[in-house]
Amino acid sequence: MIECRGVSFSYDGAAPALDGVDLNIEDGEFFCILGGNGSGKSTFAKHLNALLQPDAGTVRVNGMDASDPELVYDIRSTAGMVFQNPDDQLVATLVEDDVAFGPENLGVPSAQIARRVREALKGVGLVGFERHETHALSGGQKQRVALAGVLAMEPRVLILDEASSMLDPRGRKGLMKACHALHNRGMTIVMITHFMEEAAEADRVAVFQAGRVAMLGKPEEILTRADELAQLNLDMPVSCCLGRALREKGVSVCAQVREADMVAEIAQAYAERSGTDIAGQPSASDSHVLDNGSSAADGIAASEPVIEISHLSHSYSLSARERRRWRKRSTTADASSKQALWGNDPNSPWALRDVSLTVRRGEFLGLAGHTGSGKSTLVQHLNGLIRPQEGSVCALGLDLSNKKDAAAVKAKVGVVFQYPERQLFAETVAQDVAFGPRNLGLPQDEVARRVASSLARVGLDLAAIGDKSPFELSGGQQRRVAFAGVLAMEPEVLVLDEPMAGLDPAARRDFLGLIDRLHREGLTVVMVSHSMDDLANCCDRIVVMNEGAVFAEGTPAQVFAHADELKSIGLGVPAAQRMALALAQAGVPLRCDKLYAVEALADELAGLLLGCADVPLRVPCQAGSKAPTREEGC
Amino acid sequence: MEAFSFGSYYPGDSAVHRLDPRTKLLLGFAFLITVLTVGSFCGLVPVAMFVVLVYVVARVPLRRVLSSMAPLLAIVVVVAVLNLFSDQSGRILWQLGFLQVSEGSLRSAAFVACRLTLMMAGMSAITLTTPTLDLTAGFERLLAPFARVGLPAHELGMIMGIALRFMPQFATEMKQTADAQASRGARVTGGPLGGVRMLGSVAIPLFTGVFRHAETLSAAMDARCYHGEQGRTRLHALAFGRGDVLAALAMALLVTCVVVINLQLF
Repeated sequence: MIECRGVSFSYDGAAPALDGVDLNIEDGEFFCILGGNGSGKSTFAKHLNALLQPDAGTVRVNGMDASDPELVYDIRSTAGMVFQNPDDQLVATLVEDDVAFGPENLGVPSAQIARRVREALKGVGLVGFERHETHALSGGQKQRVALAGVLAMEPRVLILDEASSMLDPRGRKGLMKACHALHNRGMTIVMITHFMEEAAEADRVAVFQAGRVAMLGKPEEILTRADELAQLNLDMPVSCCLGRALREKGVSVCAQVREADMVAEIAQAYAERSGTDIAGQPSASDSHVLDNGSSAADGIAASEPVIEISHLSHSYSLSARERRRWRKRSTTADASSKQALWGNDPNSPWALRDVSLTVRRGEFLGLAGHTGSGKSTLVQHLNGLIRPQEGSVCALGLDLSNKKDAAAVKAKVGVVFQYPERQLFAETVAQDVAFGPRNLGLPQDEVARRVASSLARVGLDLAAIGDKSPFELSGGQQRRVAFAGVLAMEPEVLVLDEPMAGLDPAARRDFLGLIDRLHREGLTVVMVSHSMDDLANCCDRIVVMNEGAVFAEGTPAQVFAHADELKSIGLGVPAAQRMALALAQAGVPLRCDKLYAVEALADELAGLLLGCADVPLRVPCQAGSKAPTREEGC
Repeated sequence: MEAFSFGSYYPGDSAVHRLDPRTKLLLGFAFLITVLTVGSFCGLVPVAMFVVLVYVVARVPLRRVLSSMAPLLAIVVVVAVLNLFSDQSGRILWQLGFLQVSEGSLRSAAFVACRLTLMMAGMSAITLTTPTLDLTAGFERLLAPFARVGLPAHELGMIMGIALRFMPQFATEMKQTADAQASRGARVTGGPLGGVRMLGSVAIPLFTGVFRHAETLSAAMDARCYHGEQGRTRLHALAFGRGDVLAALAMALLVTCVVVINLQLF
């Protein structure tokens, strides 16, 4: 379907972005392209639909030469492309007009456009959204509209350029589901991604590095090569890590790239060893009651609270009088009885509803919840950007309903918003970092001291980059500068909203390390994240938000013991825990009352499979009635 | 996130909603001229009746009409107050220094206020019953004849459409940036210097954002085969119908009434 021969390309004529790429993609294939930031994968994708022309070499799409200007629109309608950012690829105000944009450009007659729009929206599961305004949709819905806009051109190849990287787990899952459905109907799919779990589902995988294809083959060949992947700024899928860890301990299992296969293989090995077929063995399920609020980690509970939120409610749409009336009504009627089954109740006017929460000094608190669960509104309350309408917020002993105190707290509670590099504005890095301290009215030498020290804390050197424009830096460095800008306020509490969004696996690890170091230096950290693995690894305590209310609270082990409840609100559990639960479901006697990391899980499985005496056998337990499936969290 | 609603479209399927946007724009223009020629309270009566008729047919609730016009009423008040001091005929009712209010000025202020309110009510009827995109499409088609003398009608329409699409986006982004900078201690009320710093710290990220969006948007439009007006079709082709003829007749009736009243009085 797509044939690339020696494709080379350079943006500036000097540094090559692509350097002799040879690649064939077959008709009907699900092809995945991996690579670190700046490895040339997006540049390559733009060659596949003639958005860029190669400096050397040829690209042929369905037999058409992409460099032939006559064929440009044939190629672009054959190979449709969905871009990364859901906010800037939609052209029209209304969904149906946006989906119609492609066929309109192709000169398709009106009646046929209407049919194509209908079918495309059906294909992505957005029937009934025709007259909705595009800006009011969620990120995942916007990406599916973009996908429908491409489908309406009736392409044969679909190119997704990191299309899922800016979505929350639920949005990503919806987009992947739509892609797999299309693939099953014969669409060729070329997917560029940072997520190894997505790559594991592909037919073939190519890994790019410095404009070249570094590795090419089936996922099970590529994704199991840990050392090479690490060199290319990538990770193995968690299931492979588990498989490898088991092999190192002498268990004879193959590392599988798909979690379900890994689970099946381990269960099989266990069944063979114990000599009985125990798959599907039923076991008593004791459903836990979610422990709300009462279960802070013991060591942390002793330290003093830095932020105390009590009975906080916030509504963007209701006036004070309407809020009172609403409250009266909800106390008489049972409010919980009519909650929406999936997602937010669109009629609920509450962004936050009776939230009580304590952040304690020195802790690392995780905040989870899908888009629209009230996380962002909560974050804005933490440093007084929004003053409480109902209930109270006390930070560092100051009541934030007081305007003066709210201003004072801003310096003490630093907030790093999503994509903080977008807020850089000054001429030089040093000036940008100095913005905060200057606003505090500090003397010159103190400002200079803080600029140097905060840049050092994020691993940057003032002498080397202080006089550069922030816009010259790489994406990762820009984000570090933005971090430094908040740290220069010398806050006692650092609030991070999705600090790792859009980074490749290696950069993610660097940033997690950075945040962990800041925490160990004594900062209280509150981190909002969609990645359950990151939350489980770093946090002392996790708060899960749903529909503006606190859904669960506790240590990672306590929160993630409730896989089914989390799944019901569109969240998953960390991959290792997910596999442990699936194994328990398949009859492997793992105890599920604690949180597994990959190493611990491998240790325990090795004990079971090799028959070590020091791991006592326990009755298999289940956290709920249904086994989590592997799509979860993908 | 705070909801941002641009324009004031009230979804519906009435006869007024179904009118061709070109008809609405042309008749709206005719309506403005007509109202401007009205010289007396008497002449405003048929205009008021016409406006009420339009809203009744469009089935837009009164509350919605008022809420969409509320911000514009400030203009009406300002213009009316200015008129209080212009026409100085008749008995003087009130005087303070060189300021004086007479019977004539009171009447002219009231007249101007009524006329302006009716004009705005008429224009609101268009924006309330027409999605912005249809308006731009109508606008584009009306300008199409001028394309021959070099007016880029299609491009103007496209620009308007995209501007409308990104308006709420930029509003959200501006709010986010302002929040982020406020978290770093920026205040609008920190004296003139602080104000300028705050403005720059919000405006510059907003502009870089605009360019970033523009770059991807143009690639996304290219990827969907956009190549200007040539050979382009439409999902909803504009077509005049019976409703448009009736609307034109109603407008003709209004014009006749106003002309008759104007002539009788002069």
